[in-house]
Amino acid sequence: MEWLMWFSKYENTKPLALIIFFVTFIGIVVYVYGSKKRSQRLESYRHIPFLDEQDDTKDKQ
Amino acid sequence: MNLNFKHEWIETNIGLLAVLTMLAISVGGLVEIAPLFFIDKTIEKVEGVRPYTPLEQRGRDIYIREGCYLCHSQMIRPFRDEKLRYGHYSLAAESQYDHPFQWGSKRTGPDLARVGGKYSNEWQVQHLVAPRSMVPESVMPNYPWLLATPLDLSDVSGRLKALRKVGVPYSLTQAERDANTTKFGETVAAQLHIPDAQKNLVSQANFGNYDGDRSSISEMDALVAYLQVLGTMVDFSKYSDDAFVDNR
Amino acid sequence: MAVTTDSGAEQYNFDIVKKFAVMSLVWAVVGMFVGVYIASELAWPFLNFDSPYFSFGRFRPVHTSAVIFGFGGSALFATSYYVVQRTCQARLISDGMASFTFWGWQTVIVLAALSYVMGYSQGREYAEMEWPIDLLVEVVWVTYLILYVGTIMRRKQSHIYVANWFYLSFILATALLHTFNNLAMPIDLFSMKSYSLFSGTQDAMVQWWYGHNAVGFFLTAAFLGMMYYFVPKQAGRPIYSYRLSVVHFWALSFMYMWVGAHHLHWTALPDWTSSLAAAFSILLLMPSWGGMINGIMTLSGAWDKLRTDPIMRFMIVALSFYGMSTFEGPMMSLKEVNALSHYTDWTVGHVHSGALGWVAMISFGSLYHMIPKLWGTQIYSRKLVEWHFWLATIGIVLYIVAMWISGITQGLMWRAFDEFGNLQYSFVESVAEMMPFYAMRAIGGMFFLTGTVLMAGNMFMTIRQGKRENAILDAKLAHA
Repeated sequence: MEWLMWFSKYENTKPLALIIFFVTFIGIVVYVYGSKKRSQRLESYRHIPFLDEQDDTKDKQ
Repeated sequence: MNLNFKHEWIETNIGLLAVLTMLAISVGGLVEIAPLFFIDKTIEKVEGVRPYTPLEQRGRDIYIREGCYLCHSQMIRPFRDEKLRYGHYSLAAESQYDHPFQWGSKRTGPDLARVGGKYSNEWQVQHLVAPRSMVPESVMPNYPWLLATPLDLSDVSGRLKALRKVGVPYSLTQAERDANTTKFGETVAAQLHIPDAQKNLVSQANFGNYDGDRSSISEMDALVAYLQVLGTMVDFSKYSDDAFVDNR
Repeated sequence: MAVTTDSGAEQYNFDIVKKFAVMSLVWAVVGMFVGVYIASELAWPFLNFDSPYFSFGRFRPVHTSAVIFGFGGSALFATSYYVVQRTCQARLISDGMASFTFWGWQTVIVLAALSYVMGYSQGREYAEMEWPIDLLVEVVWVTYLILYVGTIMRRKQSHIYVANWFYLSFILATALLHTFNNLAMPIDLFSMKSYSLFSGTQDAMVQWWYGHNAVGFFLTAAFLGMMYYFVPKQAGRPIYSYRLSVVHFWALSFMYMWVGAHHLHWTALPDWTSSLAAAFSILLLMPSWGGMINGIMTLSGAWDKLRTDPIMRFMIVALSFYGMSTFEGPMMSLKEVNALSHYTDWTVGHVHSGALGWVAMISFGSLYHMIPKLWGTQIYSRKLVEWHFWLATIGIVLYIVAMWISGITQGLMWRAFDEFGNLQYSFVESVAEMMPFYAMRAIGGMFFLTGTVLMAGNMFMTIRQGKRENAILDAKLAHA
């Protein structure tokens, strides 16, 4: 358990947390906005909530 | 993750989405909570802090039952005004036997971390029964039933046994009691011995006479005994002003 | 028989959604009534009536549990079951399990309220339920998780819509938090009383890790799931940016878990922990505002809806309050600000700008959208919706302003020194100063409660009207 002590020092954990956070965050942003094709694919999912539209009207005809 | 990684896998695979979400939400807690259990610096080395006596612990149970923590904190911060108003800032060591902690989050009423010994027993009893008779502007509820309700003694040792299981050094065996004697001294160790819990409780209540009525032991006896010990265990005159700075 | 109405019922399990939606309204009225009552107790202490059962300390957890778990929880069950079925075009995998979550959850709330009043409490804020109730919560929650994940696995779409991500992270996080924060040792198997496994500093950290993430995942992530479905539906246009919602989701899920310790600034908790928490609290502003922008911009190009559609107004005001409280929160997590704001009414005001402004308003908006659809009818009275909106908004403003003033006054009075370097005010002088603001807060609460009662009545009439219309429809079809 000795290695856990390393985490108990904020001068270690602070930069570590920042690095973890930034790498992950940049990774996600690059992934999401990086490619045009992927962007188009992702944006197409916006319409999922409207795919069941017919059911709304079917209830009361 | 290999080069063929696709976020699409996550979006279309509920298992993967769940696992990664779990991962994302676990990091913060692990990094911040786990170290607290491994560094001895978290809790100061300080003399005098001991587990509560059976009577005090029963008082603490009542403190929790009535929800006192919703209006009173037990955590003095290291500011000049708080030092003047309440006393030395609270140490982690002082709540090391508190299951659960009662630091609180709101001061509708004043902090109670060092209320012990500030007022007489009579004042505490009268104030609990009818706060506005002592402090006209107070908004605290009246607690008359504490004086009228006899303290339930039946499960005192059961309660201490449960606390022992979570790590409070109440003793069941002679060996444990001896260890306590070394750590806390003869008198305290006797109070912490579970087989004598009920006897100890009764004698402390009768001796202390917290509610002003020796004929019976009320819930008031227990609560006042608890309030009167709060913050009194450490003798700060023994330590220099910056003795505990490193622990912050 | 009624082929059209029944086919809807077969495709989706809406029965469970209806039950939770109704109970959500019931708990809203009950929980907010208790809230107004305890607020009044602080202004007029005689209301405690010298009774253990009505005293503030025992009643306050009844309020928090009834609004968070009763109202909020039921609204989340209702909307999550509705959203997961509609966006996956799949029926819940088991009616029995769904029904169990309903009865189990309602039992939890009733037992919790009764046990607090009887004096059973763990003494942990927002987790006062004693161990037997905690175990029941655990069972209900695992059932919920299985039901939710199982339903997603049945989906017709390959892609899982983002609202479900938020609901899923809420279910997972709540399971994690609830389990670890409630580890306790009962006195014996037949006693309600237990003692926390942790003590002192560790216990404080675990509790506020729970406490703030109850806000982060129960009261934020889950209601964002609600937002990502109901705002686009009500606006009739898709969410502003799906890519932003992906970034929003991961950033929020990751960062929230770090910030709990900002509740423990200047305490005996090691300084690095609360400082780290403060740093993350500041960073959290980004995903929070990203989400808010995503929601509000969904309306771009259709701003006139704000004038014409009171339901839309509920949602947009909810998002605005979300933006405001997620700005206020990081500010209060700065150590210097916290030194003033902590332990004061400011915190209470902040919680309520989030809870009333964001959580309650987005739930009201979503329920107004969903309930007429569930019963196949129109809202009984749009006029009442208007009234509700204004009562609620005025109520919130009164509440928050009262708490800002009282909180800052308290903070300043406590730290004021006279020219000799002594404390300028005794504690009780600060208490006396609070009286008008406590009264103002109680009145704000009454406004909000009145709005909620109007809504409950309006929805009751809507449901009755829906049932009547369907009965007529059925009768017609039977004739034909």
